[in-house]
Amino acid sequence: MNSESDASSGFDPLLLAVLSNRMESIVREMSNIVKKASRSTAITNARDFSCGLLTFDHRLICVEDAMPVHVTAMDLSTRPVTELFNDVQAGDAFFSNSPYHGGTHHADMTLCVPVYLDGEPLFWAVARSHHADTGAHIPTTMDAHMRSVYEEGLHIPVVRFQSGYRDREDLIRWCRHNIRESHIWYGDYRAQVGATRTAETRLVELGQRYGRETLAAFIEAWMDYGRRRARAAIAALPKGTLSWTSRHDPVPGVADDGIAITAKVTIDPEAGKITVDLRDNPDCVAGGINLSEACATGAGRIGVFYNLDPSLPHNDGSSSCVEVLLRDGCIVGRPTYPAGTSNATMGINDRLINAVQCAFTGLGAPHGLAEGGTEFGVNMGVIAGTDSRFGVDRPYVNMVFFGLSTGPGLHGHDGWLTYEAPNGGGVLALDQIEIDEMTYPILVEERKIAANAMGMGQWNGAPAMQGSYRPLSGEMTVAYCSDGDRNAPRGVLGGLDGSCAINSKRDANGQASALPAFHMETVRPGESVVFRTVSGGGYGHPTDREPDRVLRDVERGWIDARTASEVYGVAVVVASNGVDHKIDQGHTAQLRAKNHIKAAH
Amino acid sequence: MFRVGIDIGGTFTDCVVHAPDGTAVIVKSPSTPGAFANGFMNALRLAATRFDLTLERFLAETAVIVHGTTVSTNAVVTRATAPTGLIATRGHPDVLTLREAPRKSAWNWRLDYPDPFIPRNRTVEVGGRIDSLGNEVEPLSEEDVVAGVRLLRQAGVEAIAVGLLWSFVNPVHESRVAEIIEREWSGVPVSLGHRVNPIPREYRRTIATAIDASLRPVVNAYIEELTQALSAAGFLGRLLIANCSGGMMPAEEILASPIQSVMSGPTMAPVAARHVAPGRDVIVADMGGTTFDVAAIRDGQILVTPEAMIYEHDMLGLPKVDVRSVGAGGGSIAWVDDGGLLRVGPLSAGAQPGPACYGRGGTQATVTDANVVLGIIDPHFFLGGAIQLDRSLAEQAVERVARRLGVGLTEAAYAIHATSNHNMIGAIEDITVNEGINPRDSLVVTGGGATGCHIAGMAQALGLPRFMVPRLSSGLSAQGGLVSDLRWQVFASAYSDSEAFAFEAVNWTLRDLTCRCRAFLDRCEVAEAARRIEAAFMGRYQFQSWEIEVPFALPAGGQLTEDDLPGLVAAFHAMHRRIYGISDDDNPVEFVSWKATAVGCTNPMPAAEQPASNAAGRTPPAKSTRPVCLAPGGLALAIPVYAGSACGGNAVIDGPAIIEEDTTTLLLLSGMSARVDADGNYWVDCA
Repeated sequence: MNSESDASSGFDPLLLAVLSNRMESIVREMSNIVKKASRSTAITNARDFSCGLLTFDHRLICVEDAMPVHVTAMDLSTRPVTELFNDVQAGDAFFSNSPYHGGTHHADMTLCVPVYLDGEPLFWAVARSHHADTGAHIPTTMDAHMRSVYEEGLHIPVVRFQSGYRDREDLIRWCRHNIRESHIWYGDYRAQVGATRTAETRLVELGQRYGRETLAAFIEAWMDYGRRRARAAIAALPKGTLSWTSRHDPVPGVADDGIAITAKVTIDPEAGKITVDLRDNPDCVAGGINLSEACATGAGRIGVFYNLDPSLPHNDGSSSCVEVLLRDGCIVGRPTYPAGTSNATMGINDRLINAVQCAFTGLGAPHGLAEGGTEFGVNMGVIAGTDSRFGVDRPYVNMVFFGLSTGPGLHGHDGWLTYEAPNGGGVLALDQIEIDEMTYPILVEERKIAANAMGMGQWNGAPAMQGSYRPLSGEMTVAYCSDGDRNAPRGVLGGLDGSCAINSKRDANGQASALPAFHMETVRPGESVVFRTVSGGGYGHPTDREPDRVLRDVERGWIDARTASEVYGVAVVVASNGVDHKIDQGHTAQLRAKNHIKAAH
Repeated sequence: MFRVGIDIGGTFTDCVVHAPDGTAVIVKSPSTPGAFANGFMNALRLAATRFDLTLERFLAETAVIVHGTTVSTNAVVTRATAPTGLIATRGHPDVLTLREAPRKSAWNWRLDYPDPFIPRNRTVEVGGRIDSLGNEVEPLSEEDVVAGVRLLRQAGVEAIAVGLLWSFVNPVHESRVAEIIEREWSGVPVSLGHRVNPIPREYRRTIATAIDASLRPVVNAYIEELTQALSAAGFLGRLLIANCSGGMMPAEEILASPIQSVMSGPTMAPVAARHVAPGRDVIVADMGGTTFDVAAIRDGQILVTPEAMIYEHDMLGLPKVDVRSVGAGGGSIAWVDDGGLLRVGPLSAGAQPGPACYGRGGTQATVTDANVVLGIIDPHFFLGGAIQLDRSLAEQAVERVARRLGVGLTEAAYAIHATSNHNMIGAIEDITVNEGINPRDSLVVTGGGATGCHIAGMAQALGLPRFMVPRLSSGLSAQGGLVSDLRWQVFASAYSDSEAFAFEAVNWTLRDLTCRCRAFLDRCEVAEAARRIEAAFMGRYQFQSWEIEVPFALPAGGQLTEDDLPGLVAAFHAMHRRIYGISDDDNPVEFVSWKATAVGCTNPMPAAEQPASNAAGRTPPAKSTRPVCLAPGGLALAIPVYAGSACGGNAVIDGPAIIEEDTTTLLLLSGMSARVDADGNYWVDCA
């Protein structure tokens, strides 16, 4: 241990564990309130929200129960409050969705509540939710073609929505006048109020029990602890500078040739530091796919953390060991106002996290991960229309989560199936068909795991999901930005690439036709939209995969016997009960010997 | 007549007997995995000898046996359930694999995606579709069903689960599938989704149905064996089986729904706790060897969760008494992470090798070792002296942790003890704060043998004014079966909202539910005066998708009118405020499903009166004193030790002190004062 850790060891280690657990429990309680009390299906069913606690001077304390993209740079979200206001006081609540004030993208509306102990500000309690609508000219909150903030709908650039613990009615009226189905927006906003105010109550109780001085000392010791853990993890890595380039699909009219995103990662084990240089990347484009500063900073940290011990605390201490270098006006940097960032949490952001996490494969096995599945096609479309099933016309607009893109292989493990995308850490939930069919006038004809659609390797990327759905009540629009129709997630160290997305429409006669990748489609009665999600890449050579794992994939229908033989060199035959399968050991040995000869050439 | 409660746990089968003269005794007999009925009968035999009776004579004088069984839990946990097939809606074969997306830590990719409860090659899809309103969109494909049943039979399944979309709204397809199965393969056990768990969310309904089907062969065999053994021994009384929602059912009704017996043993502990403190907020804290379990009671209602987990990544699917477990038991292992922080659990030394002080080869320091080092546990009086502990082995193990932390032996032991307390406090806070319960306004009741060493420290940290340690703390679940009323619940979906309340449909549902409750009470021969039916609804705001349970009083006649609606709506707003801190009083309230609980007030044993905090009493003589370390500084203090059996009613013992019962050790801290009630329970007031 170095001298710095000796200095911080003055804080009682028992109390350090107690208070950090308490912070985690408060964040869990906040998350429970947002999840259960919200109204948008994206928030309440799919968990597209995050809660966190920060110090009043904008250092992350605890964000463990959250989506990485939402929280890894949450410090940028509270900072503007103290820069813009010199009269912050207890009972205030600041609401913002501005990507130019530390926000991720404009659909992630964020409520920040300052927490005071003995009249002194000590914490921020923050709740960030992906709202169903922001009042743009078309009913979606993410669109690759929205060139600037002026096309994105309502921007709330850090506004005091509560003072004296009460909503400012004029601001609520303003929002409710500008947002579609604003009773849903208001319910979601109130859930954020419930969560942040509950956190405030808990933190004040904690302050009364332990005293403000103790909590202040805890914060310093906790940051030291995070720094120590991160340094220990980085010290265990080889030294080196690594690089990886991932390619975003073409976006017609915005980036016709696609966009290559490169991450340069320098590991300095002695200093316990990793630098992610993102400056050598293209400039902002005239569309909605530019990253916000929060997303670019977060992506750099996320790709590194995915390669470190997952149990280390993701606080300011550990984050300070990862330096992310950004450039003004860069598509993965600090965007130039008013460049559009409508789709900043996905698309380019996912490609960037992939580039950072894959760079580590330059160290060889067991390091790094393959590329994870990108998103979001009609499987996660924003659907809108009018529900007349119950006699009255009730408009609806919301994002659904019928299928998720799937996870990358890594040394020792296949990819995680319900992955969603690199930005989400696999914490999103998958919609229940019955809840969606109850809430919206739709019928989901199919939702299942696709066969032979995965990044095959010694460790597979998880298989894609496929399905189809149709409107039951008049026309329905489906808006989406599907990155992954052209450039599949890449496999690493001999692993094969994942499979691409499919977005198509089936007419009343059963004829399917492909849909554009970045698009809003109108679906008429009798028509269905059809999806297959993007699957993550494989890790290592498929012919090195254990035959029993290959057999298991055949048994569960993830691959067929032909794929087992041709890709993995494993011969599988039907077992005596006529239902199951078994390995033909002799034939497998022959196939694998042949493959080795092929590989040697 | 005798009344008997039997709880089969993983290690011991607890048997609590209430004798006709009002006394209660507890006996423990080793559980007999593989043939649990033997352990059950052994426990009864042991109990009979306590009353100098033969088994036959004892059973002839026994009116009722209430049984919490681990048979189904054990089958599920050890994956020893019957091979089961699933019949699913075409296009949706992966409900059990996809789940609602299993929860994972956001930063961890070094884990394997969990296998489904029923494998894909034991799952068949059948054509046919019902929509959310119950309309048939596509007729059932009977050919698919026939082919599917043949394939499952060929594959060697022993039970079939049928889980079709929207069956709980319109069961016509599921019912037809059941008829075809019976025609094609007569006698194979079948569970239907709309019968097992009539709720929306296809994963939760289907997983419950799958578990239910897979348990039919094993539970049937067990109940049959048990009833035969009992009747052969001359038992003529009633056998009731505890269920997972805090009630009990006649044995023959468990056969129709075996999933209800899963994890039912521990659900009886809160029932016992409610008995001693009816109508208020209670927290039940139970520290065993590997886990610490907490349950809670809000206003006399035992909290039930729809999200109980049966495996790390699979739910039970069915509502169950909410018991939160953390890996914080007596055997939890203490370790130091690479950031220099002390951690306790979740890894446990289990029963083998057990804590280091057991002398069975364990070398890692556990919570029990720390308690031995601190002097809280007497190595020569563990389980009343049944097991001899080795203090020097405990010291060696704790010393290793002390070196890594750079502190002294007793300081390390204290840190382990206190960290373990705080892990348990975290579990208490989790269940209480998330459900609108303030621990400081609640009574904490302990169960399990190990809780007594830690409850005082936890009470101090939580700021509790009072807690209660039952004399039969270590057999709390078995006791719960005995002191409980008969309870049995049914629920049904009947969607409505406060703007256009569907009185006819809801009243039809309530009538149906109360009829079923009355039929249950008839079957159990409960006298009219002893009957009660409790009602609740699952409600939510418009566009929310998670309901909360709101109890309400059924009006006389059991039917709702316009006049009742404002009361239901107000009760929902109040409950939402209590749980989430906010309400939306202008928003319409949706009523999703309805629940009725049949209660038979058949328990003849009122709880002993709570002693007042200032009640005078005599202090019995201490049996010894011993040095115990009670503070982080590491200094030991000689404190008196009392024999629990010598206390008797009205005794008062002031802390610091230790009270030793045969099956538990109770530590009192300075400023605390324990009063003993007529049943021998300890009521502890904190300063």
